[in-house]
Amino acid sequence: MSPPHAPHALNLRDAWDRRWPERQLLALCTLAITLGFLMTLGESPTGEQAPSAGELLPALLYALSLAAIHLTLVACRFRGDQMLVGAAAFLFGFGLLAQHRLGATDAGGGLGGYAFPLGIAVLLITLVGFMRGRYQRLAAVPWLWAGLSLGLLAVLLILGQRFRGGVYAPGLITPTELLKLTLVVFLAGYIHRHQQALGTWTGPVPLPPLGPLWPLAAFWLVLGGLLLLQRDIGMFLILSLTLVVLLAAGTGRIGYLVYGVVAAGGLGYLVLYLFAHGQRRLQAWQDPFADPTGASWQILQGLSGMYSGGLWGQGFGQGNPEYTPIAESDFIYAVIGEELGFLGCTLVVILFLILFARGLSIAWRSRSSFGFLLGVGLTSVIATQTFLNLGGVTAFIPLTGLTLPLISHGGSSLLTAFAMLGLILAISEDHPAAAQPGPTPPAAPRPRKGPARSAPPKGSAPRPTRRRPRPAGAGPTGGPPPAAR
Amino acid sequence: MPSTHPLEVLNALVGSDAWPILRLGLQVGFFLVVVLLLKRMLDLRPLTRLPQPSRPDRVYRGLVVFLAVLFAALLLHQASWQLTGVLRPEFVNFMQLHDRRQFNPAHRLQRGRILDHRGTVLAESQEALGRAYRHYPYGRAFAHVVGYQDPKFGTTGVEDAASVHLNGGAPASLRGWGELGRQILIQDPRPRGQDLVLTLDAELQQAAFELMGERRGAVVLLHPQTGALRVLLSTPAFDPNRIGPELFRGADPSTPLLNRATQGLYPPGSTFKVVLAAQALDAGFSGTLHCPAEGFTTSSRYKKIRDHEYYTAREGGGTWKGFGDLDLGTAFAKSSNVFFAQLGVRYPHDAFYRNAERFYFNRRLTLYESPYGRWSVPTGSLTALEDSDQYGLAQMSIGQGGVLATPLHLALIAAAVANQGVAMQPRLVEADPPTSLARFMPAATAARLTEMMRRVVTEGTGRTINAKQLAIAGKTGTAENAQGEAHSWFIGFAPADKPTLAMAVLVEGGGWGSRAAAPIARELALRAQARGMLQ
Repeated sequence: MSPPHAPHALNLRDAWDRRWPERQLLALCTLAITLGFLMTLGESPTGEQAPSAGELLPALLYALSLAAIHLTLVACRFRGDQMLVGAAAFLFGFGLLAQHRLGATDAGGGLGGYAFPLGIAVLLITLVGFMRGRYQRLAAVPWLWAGLSLGLLAVLLILGQRFRGGVYAPGLITPTELLKLTLVVFLAGYIHRHQQALGTWTGPVPLPPLGPLWPLAAFWLVLGGLLLLQRDIGMFLILSLTLVVLLAAGTGRIGYLVYGVVAAGGLGYLVLYLFAHGQRRLQAWQDPFADPTGASWQILQGLSGMYSGGLWGQGFGQGNPEYTPIAESDFIYAVIGEELGFLGCTLVVILFLILFARGLSIAWRSRSSFGFLLGVGLTSVIATQTFLNLGGVTAFIPLTGLTLPLISHGGSSLLTAFAMLGLILAISEDHPAAAQPGPTPPAAPRPRKGPARSAPPKGSAPRPTRRRPRPAGAGPTGGPPPAAR
Repeated sequence: MPSTHPLEVLNALVGSDAWPILRLGLQVGFFLVVVLLLKRMLDLRPLTRLPQPSRPDRVYRGLVVFLAVLFAALLLHQASWQLTGVLRPEFVNFMQLHDRRQFNPAHRLQRGRILDHRGTVLAESQEALGRAYRHYPYGRAFAHVVGYQDPKFGTTGVEDAASVHLNGGAPASLRGWGELGRQILIQDPRPRGQDLVLTLDAELQQAAFELMGERRGAVVLLHPQTGALRVLLSTPAFDPNRIGPELFRGADPSTPLLNRATQGLYPPGSTFKVVLAAQALDAGFSGTLHCPAEGFTTSSRYKKIRDHEYYTAREGGGTWKGFGDLDLGTAFAKSSNVFFAQLGVRYPHDAFYRNAERFYFNRRLTLYESPYGRWSVPTGSLTALEDSDQYGLAQMSIGQGGVLATPLHLALIAAAVANQGVAMQPRLVEADPPTSLARFMPAATAARLTEMMRRVVTEGTGRTINAKQLAIAGKTGTAENAQGEAHSWFIGFAPADKPTLAMAVLVEGGGWGSRAAAPIARELALRAQARGMLQ
């Protein structure tokens, strides 16, 4: 069922014109991040030294990465979303900035400084590989992804080493991060396949159908067992929430959410009483001052940093994140709070919200139910992880020890996030309108940017100006602008 | 013209004095660009809009709103730490103790001053080496009531109860909130808290501290009509300017950390006769009781309760013929144990307890209360007796055995007598409105007791403190205790006809009430008069 795209109807020039909003957003991102890098000058975490060319290298790298992304998208005549690219570009640029500021880009640890370019490559490969509806092939063999997930976990259990209460592969790489991808693909595929059956609830007391549900439940039991063996409660939480959300989204049955909440309550209770690890964290959350120099030390140090950051922050590069343990990964949000203040935190949260809203929007407009489920699943994973991280750092909820997507240091987490973004973008190309031949609705051509810019192509129709992006007769959802060409 | 490498220009800039301002500009620029980015996203929304959804838009919107609310709640919670962290005294303590960030404003937090009712400073924040610390000009004299605030050793007294207020986290008015908002907005490196005015009188408290000298005990002075505490002293005290670990090792047998005025439970001895006299007066007692020299007991198995004249005479080698028949007023003035022991057992146990509970025994008093902290202290306690235990009742009737009281509670009882039977809520904060706590006794009973207590000073056990210029009324107490020498008590008020000062003085192991405690009470009453506090 290959969707009837007409990619070759679009020439390069049109593709370039079509993506001007993205270009503009990426330019603003570059400007913001460059300003951020300039701020960190002279505040090298290694000591007092004069700025060297090397310190501005990451900024250059970032600008080049954005250019590479943009040019690739244009070259591929990608018709998908542009806003998501902008929001994500800002967030991972911000992450790069924060890690550079913490000295994490030049030191080892996982993939070190290579994680970022590698991540961009992963994003583009995923996107190009799965665009034009090719992502649908992922739905072909759901159980393959399930098997892969369990295999990953089993290998890690055998080869892994313990560190900070969790299990890690050699080199502190966390292959379980990949589960976020493989399992969402599996769930989307499975639920897509059994949509009808899963949606048929019977009985006087509404109960979900056991037939299509038991393989899923059995698999989840094994998965949960393996994850809890590795003390990876946070990951299990994210995946379970995504399972429930996808069941509800795929079938339109709110009942799945209800049963999910009940199951989560019971399971959470069980987990807390099985693991001292979890219990300690719960206590540290309920009463952080019961053991301020022990269990709550890290979270209180993070909050102290945030308090000294206040509303405006101490300025990027001016804080003392070295007093917060694991500042570069789990507690990076505390560093943002310290250096850019509550205002900086609010801006980051708003951009995350835009990312989630856009992700959901893409899912909502997908042609296929598989695309819908995949989009909702991936967004749900990212949103949950973000909430658990931010909530933990601000003592809103107990600490789960998760990284902040796109921003935290950590190669595996970053690569997975980039791959997920690539997939969501691939889905975004897949909407009803994309199947229509001819000029596509969202593609209002690039308006005149000013006298300094090159003149628009000759013979083109009246173009929308920047002030009035909606010219008469060129409603974005209505008919396409008369691109006489 | 020498070509300068751009990097060198940058180098020079970063090293120059202008860099902090430039950096600030960069930060403002960064924020502006991000805001611009958000605005562009909003503007470009129509242009990058995806086609109409094939699924219900309502659910999508609901989900987005749900996420937005969730994260907004998170940000709000974050603000409660990041912006209004002063609302969490434990958090401020943690930062002052454990945060090594030099620029953390918590280190330079100018906690509000604590003032007495005339504006004398009892506690203030000072700064040395980039750290704020607390200075107490009166040192030991206010150690217990004002307390101390130390990041390492915590907070006590008013410093503890009003910690949030002092840190500036509990604005009472719109202006206060405005001030807090201003400090957050300009990110004040030296946030200021709010002052707290207490009802205490620095000079009187200092005088009481000096009068107590090396002796252990407590002094409580309060205004009977408003409950305003003027003196709340406990000795021995510690120096709140020098809090160190040795203070907490518990090696000092004199327990300087204990606030004897509010926490110390002592046998009240003869001062309890005020309570019992009120019971008898309300029960309509009149007439006399025979008080023989050899004393009184409820059963031959128990030691006789005698008057102290008996022991004095015996020590001197002579004999004492006893009081003979005594009426209530005379017995009260002479503080006859034999009389009051007999009086107590004339009534059933439950009458005794009912009466004592009117006087607020077995309860708690709240000295300070706010949404962010409170300071409450226990009142005296009564042991529950078996109904058959007559001897126990006789002992409690003279303030021994199963009855214990704090100096503050006894001062409150004296204040109730002085305020026509009504006890006012004892209060420490000048701004708190006076409220009545409970009626301890009918007004007529209070009037009779006032006469009786005046007689104690004019012709009874307290006659040594009778002063020409001031009519003091009161009751002495000499409370036997198992630890050694009897505790010396005096409770009372002045002037007797129109009381404006109620007092309780305790000297641990001070012997006769008339010898140790009463002179201190007299001296303090005269000083208060000289300060014009008795008008």
